[in-house]
Amino acid sequence: MSVRAIWLLGLEKGTTSVKLSRRFPTVEKRARNFNGKNYTELPEDKIFLNALLTELDMTELDKNFVEHRDSCCRINRTSVYEIAIGDSVLWPVLVMTQNAILYACLPLVEQSLTPRPPLISLRGISPAFALLSGLMTFLNMTQRSEPEITNKMTQISAMLMHACPLGTPTDTDFGLMQTLSGSFVPQNPISSVQAQKQPAWKPGIYKGKPQVNVCVTEQIRSMQYDKNDVIDVWQEYGTVTCKCDLEGILPTVTVSLNLPINGSPLQDILVHPCVSAVDSTILTFNSVDDVDDSLFNGPYKFPFTPPLDVFKLCYYTSQVPIPPILGSYQMKEEEQNLKITVNLKLHESVKNGFEYCEAHIPFFNRGPIVHAECKVNHGQLEVSREKSLLVWVIGQKFPKSLEVSLTGIVMFPAFGISNHSVQLTDPFCTGLTAYVKLYFRIPDYTLTGCYVDQHSIQVYSSAKPRIITSRELLSSEYYIWNSKGDAPVASRPLGSLRNWE
Amino acid sequence: MAGSNSEWSQKVAAFYASPSHFLASTTTENFVYDLLRVLADEKISENVKIQILGIIQEFPGLLFTNSLVAEQAAESIFSIYSQLPLVPKSVNLKCHLLLSVTTIVIATDHLTSNAKILNNLMSQLLDTVCDTNDRKYGGHFRPLRALACDCLREFETCHPGLLSRKLELLHSLQQKEVSPLHQAYTLLYIQVLKNAVRTLSRSRNVSDGAIRELLTRNEEIKWKVMEKPQDLLAIATTTNLTPLPSTIETKELKSSVTLLLEESFLLTPVSQAAVFHELIQVVLMVRSLSPAIFRSQLLRLFGTMDISLMHSMLHMKASFTDSLFSAEDENFLLKRLVCMAQHPLLSNPVKLFYMDCLLHFPENRPINSNLEENLPVLFTPKMAACLFPTLFNDSSTMMSRLNLVSLMCLDSAEEERGLAEIFDYLVSLYKLVDANGSRGHTVTFFQAVYIFVSCFHASEMYMSELTQYMVKLYQRHCTLAPHMINLIDSIQHLLEDSKWPVSLGEALRKLIVELPPKQLSPHKLIWHLKVLARVAKEPTILQKTTVQFLLNVVQASDLCRQGEWRMGNSVLSVCKSILHHQNVEPIFSDLADLLQHVHAQFQDIDIQDHAHFYYALLTCLSHEKLAGIVAPGTGNCIRAKARSLSSLMSESAGHSISVLPIKHPVLKLIPVPEEGSSNRGPAGDMTVKDFEEDSLQKYLNQFQNVGFASTIVMKFHLTFAEKVDPEYHKIYTVHLCFDLRSTHYEPLSDLHVPCLFLSRTPHVFSLAFKPHLPFPVMLHTRAVFTKEDGSTCCSQLEPVDIGFARLFLALPVPTNWPLEMKARLFNQFWESLLQTGSSQSVLSRFCFTTVQRPLSELVNLHFQKYVVSQQSDPESYKAFLFLPPRVHLLLSLEQAQDMAKVDIVTDNWQLLPFINSYLIDITSEK
Repeated sequence: MSVRAIWLLGLEKGTTSVKLSRRFPTVEKRARNFNGKNYTELPEDKIFLNALLTELDMTELDKNFVEHRDSCCRINRTSVYEIAIGDSVLWPVLVMTQNAILYACLPLVEQSLTPRPPLISLRGISPAFALLSGLMTFLNMTQRSEPEITNKMTQISAMLMHACPLGTPTDTDFGLMQTLSGSFVPQNPISSVQAQKQPAWKPGIYKGKPQVNVCVTEQIRSMQYDKNDVIDVWQEYGTVTCKCDLEGILPTVTVSLNLPINGSPLQDILVHPCVSAVDSTILTFNSVDDVDDSLFNGPYKFPFTPPLDVFKLCYYTSQVPIPPILGSYQMKEEEQNLKITVNLKLHESVKNGFEYCEAHIPFFNRGPIVHAECKVNHGQLEVSREKSLLVWVIGQKFPKSLEVSLTGIVMFPAFGISNHSVQLTDPFCTGLTAYVKLYFRIPDYTLTGCYVDQHSIQVYSSAKPRIITSRELLSSEYYIWNSKGDAPVASRPLGSLRNWE
Repeated sequence: MAGSNSEWSQKVAAFYASPSHFLASTTTENFVYDLLRVLADEKISENVKIQILGIIQEFPGLLFTNSLVAEQAAESIFSIYSQLPLVPKSVNLKCHLLLSVTTIVIATDHLTSNAKILNNLMSQLLDTVCDTNDRKYGGHFRPLRALACDCLREFETCHPGLLSRKLELLHSLQQKEVSPLHQAYTLLYIQVLKNAVRTLSRSRNVSDGAIRELLTRNEEIKWKVMEKPQDLLAIATTTNLTPLPSTIETKELKSSVTLLLEESFLLTPVSQAAVFHELIQVVLMVRSLSPAIFRSQLLRLFGTMDISLMHSMLHMKASFTDSLFSAEDENFLLKRLVCMAQHPLLSNPVKLFYMDCLLHFPENRPINSNLEENLPVLFTPKMAACLFPTLFNDSSTMMSRLNLVSLMCLDSAEEERGLAEIFDYLVSLYKLVDANGSRGHTVTFFQAVYIFVSCFHASEMYMSELTQYMVKLYQRHCTLAPHMINLIDSIQHLLEDSKWPVSLGEALRKLIVELPPKQLSPHKLIWHLKVLARVAKEPTILQKTTVQFLLNVVQASDLCRQGEWRMGNSVLSVCKSILHHQNVEPIFSDLADLLQHVHAQFQDIDIQDHAHFYYALLTCLSHEKLAGIVAPGTGNCIRAKARSLSSLMSESAGHSISVLPIKHPVLKLIPVPEEGSSNRGPAGDMTVKDFEEDSLQKYLNQFQNVGFASTIVMKFHLTFAEKVDPEYHKIYTVHLCFDLRSTHYEPLSDLHVPCLFLSRTPHVFSLAFKPHLPFPVMLHTRAVFTKEDGSTCCSQLEPVDIGFARLFLALPVPTNWPLEMKARLFNQFWESLLQTGSSQSVLSRFCFTTVQRPLSELVNLHFQKYVVSQQSDPESYKAFLFLPPRVHLLLSLEQAQDMAKVDIVTDNWQLLPFINSYLIDITSEK
């Protein structure tokens, strides 16, 4: 369950740098013993950095075809790479990327490296995932300014001393470690009567007003084409987030998710490790096969002992019958002008009360907008010339008809005149391939109908807590493609409606 | 040299930037001693000390190169640790100190027989962990306790069985602790428990009460375990576990394991995974423990979103198969895995990992070996449908999914429909590349085609349709030529019998030769010629129209008049491919016309020459001979030349001439032992007389001449390494590049050797080393040479150690100086160095026993050349050594009873560690 080394590498502004590295020599000694003649020594950081960038195809970007990088038989199907160091190779290097930082980790392989064992058989692979994911979450918790990152790197070094001093991680919740640093040490020594062991993932005890906060957040993404031969797709998924401020070592809480009679059943439920038991019935509902779940409408019960911090109690997906907003987009080229029409219709079953609802209409590869003459029957239109973007602010409510529309003409500089440096570009959007993207949030509403009843929350704790519940629906990657152009198709060519990911 | 806080922070940063580079500018021992001094220095801040300990924790192998340094470091860090008061403020530093000592002891292997350090460290660690529930020292010291547990666990992991005599103690600690630290105690206990059971299962005679006896043991640790070479592989392997006899009593063990599992919920997910892993092995070894013991945990784990726990569950599945997972459970787990492989709320790398797990799913009744990729028997087309790729996936996800659905399609009864869907997907990717063609998409598309062909090459209908799409794509984007060629090569390599690559090649060729001449801008033509050259390698594809096309091009366009070398070369490379691979009879006249035309018209003399050469080959030689000559590396007498004659640029080399790296050293350097003095800095023009008065000053004045006595010349043999492939037995134009990787030496210039044959004597050459500081150094050498077949290779030689003694030279004074004069100079020098008290000079003493070997023998062996005076009673010698550029080493050796003492005076204290280790070396050798 050990790792030989971890690296955090910065990729900002065309320069690359080693932000943090930590190697574990006692694990290295084991690696030498286990891997025998296939053992490869850890290289120095700079050598590793360059070798990794080569492996990740991040070098020689100016060249059209480089065999070692672009050969069609060099296919990477996982995030685990083989890094060439001189004549030998380092394997398995797990690499994840987020916000211009490369996170890399080399788990110990406790067997011979030839023949190469499958990833599933490597004990060290999941700790490596856990370690890197933990670091990623920690680094993304706050603003990402340069001094902040530097400061956090120092904190990470200090935290590794406690969470992974010898290469075998015992804790990967770096956010919690940071919260507790300082208050980590209990004020009073353990009372001699305490018999209950305190969870290792809950190294402190809350003192103060008891409160339980549960929030259901659903996200919907969609690809709509407004074409006969292409199927629209949408996907709905939800997260239940909790924060429980309760006294005592092991308070327990049971949260029930309820569905209305006609609600869409929850599927693919994944629960947080603090959940002590899950009824196996609710786990059988999935998007993979046709278990008839239509008769089941909850409640979905989750008994758990809450950790100190905010946590994701569960994830789910659902197959909702309709997308909340159905749209169409028509864009045609007439000389240097674009004629556009956008129609959006809110489904009557959806709550008509938004915190915000905006349609963004970007124009790629055409230069800045010279002139726009557009009419909307509802809301306001803003033109961002430099960004070649129209923003249609629909506002808090759709009109009574539940339909809104935009028509108009947008003009661009003649071909060749535009300044390429400010152009918006997109890999998909050339010619008439274009889209409208929707951004909206509907508070106190979920598409599945899923809700948490305040009264159904059971808390076993010394004092009665205040209970707060909330829910929301958010858009995520909600695209409406130009029906007059070629749009990349998201569904399976002949496939069913639902699966899209 | 302590330095300030900021200086040390900078030094630490410089070290991390490149440890090897940093250490090259100092000696490792000096650096370590500096580090230890700083750690003991009260003026240095804790922060800097922690940074310095960080270096020790991360690079012990680099820093502690012998047991003496390791011992000194461990002792001095340990003493700092012991002296630090046990107050909350010092906890962090104490943690780092303890971790550093543990790391040095475990990682370096230098101290495995040093009972004093081991005992000290172990009693400190055990003492620390015994303070359960903060009774003695209070809660502030929890980090230290947790660390001590981790250190003990690492000891046990690296030396299995070391702590097995402490099981009773560890068990009671594990039970007592109620603070969150119980996790550390649990992990420690389980590791020791598993190893103890494992050792038991490997021994032959096991009594029925053996396990009970094991669990109640509390004895002193036996350090012998540390000294044995470990075979961790044999201990960690989970296959071939020998179960203990079923008669063995396991009541206590069972209750212990049950309790551990019940409490596993209280651990962090990664730690739970570790506990499960160890317990799985215990249960596998102790047959009377039923795997069903894990059942209650499974109910909790089935729904998990955590990767460590999911992985643990898969591991349980692999270990216990149907004794823990019913067929229903298996199906359920598989569905969970499919669901997680596509869950929108999990990150991509995690999903890709689950996809990979699907292909190695641990089945209850495996049909295939788990090393290969296979879909589980229970995997259904419905599941595959969930994992169908879309255009919005990242490239890895696309490839992973495409591979999976293709495998499914091959297995499935509904193959036709599945295949159609996959092909449609390929077409949608094609459209993307056709419309936009970013490099990323293009590479992904060709990878997808590769996967598709590798699975469905037997389906003629789809293959021919695919060919049409590829041709259409090439027609619009001829810059994809290298991708097309790579695809043809890769598929041919993968599927030797497949006809598809040839048919794709033929289709591309047909497209090109039928292009109207107007569409042939030079930019496009160069890509077309690349494709034609590749296609001409297929003997089954007739090339008549190709040759006519080329003839037409060179005659109709002004290509010849422009005389662009690269273009000419591209045309000729097609011709060469044809000459090599094709039957030239049917195209003889056209090809001859073509070559003739190029020879006569092309405005580049090099191209003309080659065209003429090919023309001559074509018209004068039979086909077999011709093909033999143009073939790379298959002729006989002139093969090295044939290549350079018949092609201007190697086709595979692309834009650069390639140098093939060779893994194993082909050559080696052997230092030739010196005979007599090799000092090349003759003592100027001075005669004996000149020195008579004020000899020291005059001697020193010599060094004002630039370059005086500044070089050491060493001779080497360049010869072949052992077991070199016969293809390297004759090599030419050997170019040696030397690199000392040290800032203390002037760079060495390269060396050329015309040829080297295994059958002949080695090549002898000299190298002149010019040190700024005479530190020992490694000579790294890279050799670039040409093989007999004309290809250029590059090989790294084994580095040669230029040891300290190799740097000793006799005094740079005229050779005819009598000994007395040297002795006089010695005395003067000695006095002056002691008197001046300069910051560089230093006096040191070294003692050793002469019981085994008399002093005289040692002196004769090592210092004979440097002795300037000797006396018999007491036996004593004075040796005067010189090291370029101007370092003097004055040794006064004297016998005293069974011991000899060596007084050392030198004008550069930085050499002391080397002198010291050199003296240790020569006095300890037998």
